[in-house]
Amino acid sequence: MTPVSAAKWAGLAAILVVPALLGSGNYAYLVQAGGMIGLYMILALGLNFTMGYVGLFDLGYIAFFAAGAYGAAICGAYNVPLLIELPLTVAFAVLLRLGLGVSILRLRGDYLAIVTMGFGEITRLVINNLDSITNGPKGMEVPPLQLFSWTLSGNLGYYYLIAACVALGVIGSRRLEDSRVGRAWVAIREDETAARLSGISVNEHKLLAFTISAGFAAVAGMIFAHWIQFVTPESFVFWESILIVSMIVLGGMGSIYGVLLGALILGGVPQILQVFLAGSKWIDYRYFFFGVVLVVVVLFRPEGLWPHKRRQAELHEEAA
Amino acid sequence: MKSLNRTKFLLACTLAAASALAGAWSALAQGAKTVRIAVAMPLTGDMGTEGQGVRRAVEMAVAEANQSKAFPYTLEVKALDDRADPREAVNVANLITSDPGVAVVIGHYNSGCSIPAAKIYARAGIPMITPASTNPDVTGQQLNPKWTGKKSVFRVVPTDDVQGEYAAQYVYSKLGYRKMSVVHDKTAYGQGLAEQFKKNFEKLGGKVNSFDGISIGDKDFKALLTRIKSTGPEGIYFGGVYTEAGLLMKQGRELGITVPFVSGDGAKTPTLFDVAGAAAEGSYLTITGIPVEYLATAKDFIANYKKRYSGPGNELKPFDHFGYEATRIALEALKKSGPDRAKLINALHQTKYDGLLGTTTFDAKGDTLNKIITMTKASFKDRSFPPVK
Amino acid sequence: MFLQQLVNGLTLGSIYSLIALGYTLVYGILVMINFAHSEVLMVGSFVALAVFRFAPAILPQGPVGLIVALVLSMAGAGVLNVVIERFAYRPLRHAQKLAPLISSIGVSIVLQNAVFLWVSTQSESFPELIAATQFSIGGAGVSSLQLVCMASAIGLMMGLHFFIEHTKVGKAMRACSDDLETAGLMGIDSSRIIALTFLVGGALGGAAGVLYGLNYGSIKYNLGFLPGVKAFTAAVLGGIGNIRGAVLGGFILGIMEVMAAGYIPRGSDWKDVIAFSVLIFVLLLRPSGILGEKIAEKV
Repeated sequence: MTPVSAAKWAGLAAILVVPALLGSGNYAYLVQAGGMIGLYMILALGLNFTMGYVGLFDLGYIAFFAAGAYGAAICGAYNVPLLIELPLTVAFAVLLRLGLGVSILRLRGDYLAIVTMGFGEITRLVINNLDSITNGPKGMEVPPLQLFSWTLSGNLGYYYLIAACVALGVIGSRRLEDSRVGRAWVAIREDETAARLSGISVNEHKLLAFTISAGFAAVAGMIFAHWIQFVTPESFVFWESILIVSMIVLGGMGSIYGVLLGALILGGVPQILQVFLAGSKWIDYRYFFFGVVLVVVVLFRPEGLWPHKRRQAELHEEAA
Repeated sequence: MKSLNRTKFLLACTLAAASALAGAWSALAQGAKTVRIAVAMPLTGDMGTEGQGVRRAVEMAVAEANQSKAFPYTLEVKALDDRADPREAVNVANLITSDPGVAVVIGHYNSGCSIPAAKIYARAGIPMITPASTNPDVTGQQLNPKWTGKKSVFRVVPTDDVQGEYAAQYVYSKLGYRKMSVVHDKTAYGQGLAEQFKKNFEKLGGKVNSFDGISIGDKDFKALLTRIKSTGPEGIYFGGVYTEAGLLMKQGRELGITVPFVSGDGAKTPTLFDVAGAAAEGSYLTITGIPVEYLATAKDFIANYKKRYSGPGNELKPFDHFGYEATRIALEALKKSGPDRAKLINALHQTKYDGLLGTTTFDAKGDTLNKIITMTKASFKDRSFPPVK
Repeated sequence: MFLQQLVNGLTLGSIYSLIALGYTLVYGILVMINFAHSEVLMVGSFVALAVFRFAPAILPQGPVGLIVALVLSMAGAGVLNVVIERFAYRPLRHAQKLAPLISSIGVSIVLQNAVFLWVSTQSESFPELIAATQFSIGGAGVSSLQLVCMASAIGLMMGLHFFIEHTKVGKAMRACSDDLETAGLMGIDSSRIIALTFLVGGALGGAAGVLYGLNYGSIKYNLGFLPGVKAFTAAVLGGIGNIRGAVLGGFILGIMEVMAAGYIPRGSDWKDVIAFSVLIFVLLLRPSGILGEKIAEKV
């Protein structure tokens, strides 16, 4: 075994075994924190398809997380079993994203960003205003995840579920990245016109990326809702979309491990600060420090903490 | 080679983060001779203003308790920031339940944060007293047959329906208005108040001309107010907090709306006069409990608070006295039961506390039975809210 | 009532326009969304408040006080914007396109929290630099504040137009906006022009902050966020990078919001949904905004 794979396996073992050992002791908090970071990882992996690979700047991604969470809540209210809820919710989120995707295919760059931002805000406001379906700002109770007669509750169960989803997401991302589709995406990102002229069906590939990213967000939203068992529109504000975009850029656009690292840092820093600063007057400075971290990291590593090899090569070529 | 370095780098990062967390944690978990009161409030972000206020009140109550030397151990406030975000609230709740030194939680502010966090506290058997969340589900969820933990959730504020109903009756019978316009801020608190007002006002035979929501953060409500003016209401009920209430009052007066505004305790803070200026004069605001003028404890509270926190931005905020009261109730129970959480929960259920809200006792699900509401009328001249009959 | 609503819409629109100009100027030259602009606006309003608190003598009630407040806030916000550019954006000028965006988000968080931590955690009442009196024009109630607000905004916009179109520096700014590299080759010091653009953009933001405080009477650390988002939307609606587009977009958005809230039952709940839907619809028909030129793709 090479040192690399040894280190990898050791890391993997730590991620899987350590949480189970923490039990309900003083460090039980880490399990839940890990789960939350894992949810961000799923979201970042999902957005990486459209933003990282295809280069579509998206400021409303949280809308599809919301769709997943509210799908779970509404299905829960009508006692829909999980095996129906899952395809129903994912399909709903995907259709929503396809609807948005089809209508904005012509848009590029920052126009796209602002339309997606508008869509994200529309989604939140609709959830907030449609009291009869979503119970408006008062929020909805969600039952825990239930498959037949087996109920998943407790942080540890959700932690492993999320870890499994992250693993699946990574495997899926890697497979797609190295496939024909993945290369077509990158070609579109680098030069849409040239890609079109090379015979790549640009629109279909864009829509495929949209579909996959919506699926990731919907699954993350469902897990989130079942885990904390309560959803309100407050969880799906514009700020969350910005945060996920920041994770991708900070980690390295189009780089799987980069976006994971971005999610770990931006999802983890506020929590670490919370632990460190709880009880002291410095707790008020939490987001001040967070902002400083964001600026400093991007100034020192503008191409991302762990950029994709291909992309890094390009950037250096440009600078040279 | 490169990938080796990266893997090592990532591992090192993870380990460093984990050990940092662990180190910080064990440092915090030590110190057996102290009992901690956790305050979980939005301390940063848009709701930071309100959360900081409650935190000041809790810190004051704890400092007074330490001074009184009534406890054989030192009490310590542990403030945590939920940023009014349900997800952060859940993080905070897990952090609190991992700390064996915490006896009781004062929090959270928003109902959206309190509801999911309450489940976590209940599972860990930590009592939680919310000084601000008014959604009935915060305590109501404990009656659900699937509720797994103890009945450990308490609330010292009355739910939305109590205040909304009182305001509707007051407006209908005392003020004699028959046509009202209703506005709310599309939050759980504001919309809840507004809906209860509308329901009860219509039940009494009044007419609600219009029922609209506004967005928090917006500053320009003249369009809505112009439309409201054209429907000719005799008064305007607003469900929400002082920032938007103040802007509505100010812009309403600028548009020539002379009818009074009626609102709830979320608007009753001296800061209302900073936002609305003289336009706040004569507005009717419901408050919970007996007016401060009749209670010595409440007068002391206000005087001490002003003495203790005199800096800019440290004015009394609408839910501060609830935070103070919640802490006092917790300390009273703590005195009887000791820091054992299970005993503390039992002691809290048997609470009978005379404080600045009047006498507080809890029903089976932890809601306060003190539902006295008083109507006050804003006075711009001395920035106060004297009660009216 | 229509006239009244129009006045309401024009006031709101003039503020949106003024803020949108700050976004569009920076975008025109660097092709980046300056997220921190909303915080520059907020700081601008706090500069006026600070002057009023510490040296009330130089801010007498009336036009003189207003002009002094505007000038000081514009200077403060403009300098702040230049400093931000120097330390947070310039090092990233040759980095990937989204790096400055992330940096600006970070700066925005830092500024908002800095004001929260060290200046004020609550709403502060803004000095009444102009006495609020009511006029009636054709049945519509107009306050002196609204008039001052609209007049100042329009005056500033006209000043900006003159500056950009009829001065040498303005010409250099336009050249940089068309093509930064070529402009550099033609002997224009592009770094100075970029700094100048940030100065002007920040100054307009500072002015908007003062008018905002004046019109609504109170300011708070988080006041920038929502108008920032709206104004950026307006800039895109009009065609981002285009100065007339930003003004047009601002007024359209302001009037649209007011009409939605003013005429549709429960319209106040839905006005933002309506505004964003219109934005999406307009961009579907005209992918580069109302006045935006169709940008040739760089192949």
